[in-house]
Amino acid sequence: MGGGTMRSLHALVRAEMATFVRDRASLLLTFLFPVLFILIFGSLMGDMGSTDDIAIGVVATRGDAGDSLRTAISASGTLRFNEYETVEQLLQGIETGSLDFGVVWEDGLLVFYYDPRRIQENVPFQEVARGIASRLRLAAQGLEPVVVLRTIPVGGQPEVPWIHVAVPGILAFSILSAGLSAIAGHVTSMKQRKLLDRLIVTPMRPTLFLLAVVIVRLLVTFASTLITLLLAVVVFGLRFDVNWLQYCVLVVSATVGMMGLGTAISLLVRQASSAGHISTILSITMMFISGIYFPIEIMPRFLRVISYATPLRHMAEAMRYATGVMEMSPARFWIISAALFALGALLLPLLARYVVRSGR
Amino acid sequence: MKDCRRLARVHVTTALRERVTFFWYLVFPLFLLVILTLIFSNIGSVGDLTLPIGLVNQETPSATADFATIIEDVFLSLSQAGTASQTTLFDLRSPDPTHDASAPSESQLNAVRNGDITALLLIPEGFNQDVLKAVTTDSGPATLTVYLSGGRSSSELAESVIEQVIAGLDEQILTTLGRFDPLSTFAVEHRTIAAADDEPFQYVDFLLPGILLMGFFTTGLFGVPGTILFGRDRGILRRYWVTPLTVPRYLAGFSMGHGALCLLQFVCLWLVGRFALGATVVIFRPLPLLFLVLGAVTFLAFGFFVASVARTANAGMAIANILNMPMMFLGGLFFPIGDLPLALRAVMYVNPMTYLADGLRGTLGIDVAMFPLPVALAVPAAWTLVCIVVAGSRLRWGVER
Repeated sequence: MGGGTMRSLHALVRAEMATFVRDRASLLLTFLFPVLFILIFGSLMGDMGSTDDIAIGVVATRGDAGDSLRTAISASGTLRFNEYETVEQLLQGIETGSLDFGVVWEDGLLVFYYDPRRIQENVPFQEVARGIASRLRLAAQGLEPVVVLRTIPVGGQPEVPWIHVAVPGILAFSILSAGLSAIAGHVTSMKQRKLLDRLIVTPMRPTLFLLAVVIVRLLVTFASTLITLLLAVVVFGLRFDVNWLQYCVLVVSATVGMMGLGTAISLLVRQASSAGHISTILSITMMFISGIYFPIEIMPRFLRVISYATPLRHMAEAMRYATGVMEMSPARFWIISAALFALGALLLPLLARYVVRSGR
Repeated sequence: MKDCRRLARVHVTTALRERVTFFWYLVFPLFLLVILTLIFSNIGSVGDLTLPIGLVNQETPSATADFATIIEDVFLSLSQAGTASQTTLFDLRSPDPTHDASAPSESQLNAVRNGDITALLLIPEGFNQDVLKAVTTDSGPATLTVYLSGGRSSSELAESVIEQVIAGLDEQILTTLGRFDPLSTFAVEHRTIAAADDEPFQYVDFLLPGILLMGFFTTGLFGVPGTILFGRDRGILRRYWVTPLTVPRYLAGFSMGHGALCLLQFVCLWLVGRFALGATVVIFRPLPLLFLVLGAVTFLAFGFFVASVARTANAGMAIANILNMPMMFLGGLFFPIGDLPLALRAVMYVNPMTYLADGLRGTLGIDVAMFPLPVALAVPAAWTLVCIVVAGSRLRWGVER
């Protein structure tokens, strides 16, 4: 690049950065939303999935059967259990949230009660309940388990709370939003408002303008993801073993890739608002089915199949790998990064050719 | 009245013609209702999921008391479908026959690490002897080892499924040895607290009232300040004021239009929820309808409040965006809100959404209300009053702006 080109690029980057900073919606989307997501979901569901410190309510008759149940509960981990005189009291405890779940042992029937609203938490609660029932069935005949399971983690961070796995996913989602909005929001909006037409009649090359957009979004994405990561560490005391090389490679390739996806959307629609809506629908759909907030395994088969096709799922997994939360083969990480970068590298030039030009 | 009706009609048609408003008013709530219902439709069960697992049996086969083979056979049977269309619980990956089976190979452990298999189960050498000892002496149970990959939900799920299988195997082994009588055991049931009334819980019944309120909320929070502030910034309102139309009549027409949009949202969401997703919750009762009307009115007033504190349309949208997420998620629209830090608990208690969602679900009988009915009605009503007073004193309609 010659000195004149560099000066032009510098001026364009400054102008793009100023535009971004003045655009409250983009600022909110990029910086505030990930922070709010972490704070709200971290507080609401931070320790979801953990079976430590579960509060269980018990209604059981005195005597051998009741004592066997108490022993089975005590042997099932770090549970706190409160005894209740009646089933109604127990149900009220579950309803008000003072109990995680309850168990009633009466007339040869063991009934576990759950709060149906705690839809995700009930999965680990039911596992604990099944363990209690198994122990009790043996204990009722004076027997102990003859086989136990010993778990050995072989990679990633074992038995981490939900928020620990969710944070890298939220980072991936931030990259997706920033990348998509850069093109499917910002550039198409400039096109619609005829700002691009004015720029194009200057000696500016379309590729230079796009390069400035890419540079600004990369800077912004790095800043946003680092702030979010730092917040998760400071507020929730999470520990991430970040491989900074992989982290940087992933942020760059994913941002470029998502800008490529934004390009594809922009080529399909004429209106900036339509591009924005399509990108919003796409990003929210991907957010729900890519395993960031809800495990993919709980979804119906067809959603799991769709999930495989979404870039966000692979971005989230690669980000978990780069932050040391989850293992993955290094080859897979590099393939994901290369594929994302290739998506951007292939599609962004189309943007220069078909969108950043007058008359379209 | 005729002016008001005409204004209401204009408000509705403009909102529906605008892609942005059409998307947020109708498409997005419908989309959210469908996608969340689909995601949570088979939660709590493994459903049609097949978990790829590895199994390494290091135990030497024996003619008698071969418990290791029993375990291997059980996992093998769980990975074989009875019919072509049947889904198996496991996809059992056989170990490499050329590998020394005294320890799991690095490639097997890598398969767990990298998520190619969800878990690797190891039956150690001497396992049969350990089981016999566990039955006849107090030496403690025999141990099976399962290797898992941290941070992977599929691995966690595989662990819990394997635990269930092992619990069943415990009984099978003890039955084989004549120690356990499967006929003299007890029944186990898992119920949700709503199921005690013989009404099975469906997530869509819990979600639908929340999405209805969310629809009203976004319509009020974004639609009201959007229409007023953009109308003011672009000089559209000025044109109204040079006609005989007065502000109160404009407000009446605008509010009627807002009500019509909420009604349209309600009808669309209810139809999809009821007929496409199978919701059974009975909304058409006086108290639930009262809460829905109160919700629409409260969020309309809230929209006026936001419009009155924002100087420009962009500022109004920024305020609405900031308020949107905390109010929705800390109001218990999608998930119950349990133990929260003090600051977030304070937000929850001042949030009118908390009381509306709580009151609506409580009166629908799909949740136990946290707050007494008068409180659940009074707090949103108080918010409405405060918002109207603030908006009445601050909101400027005049041409000087």
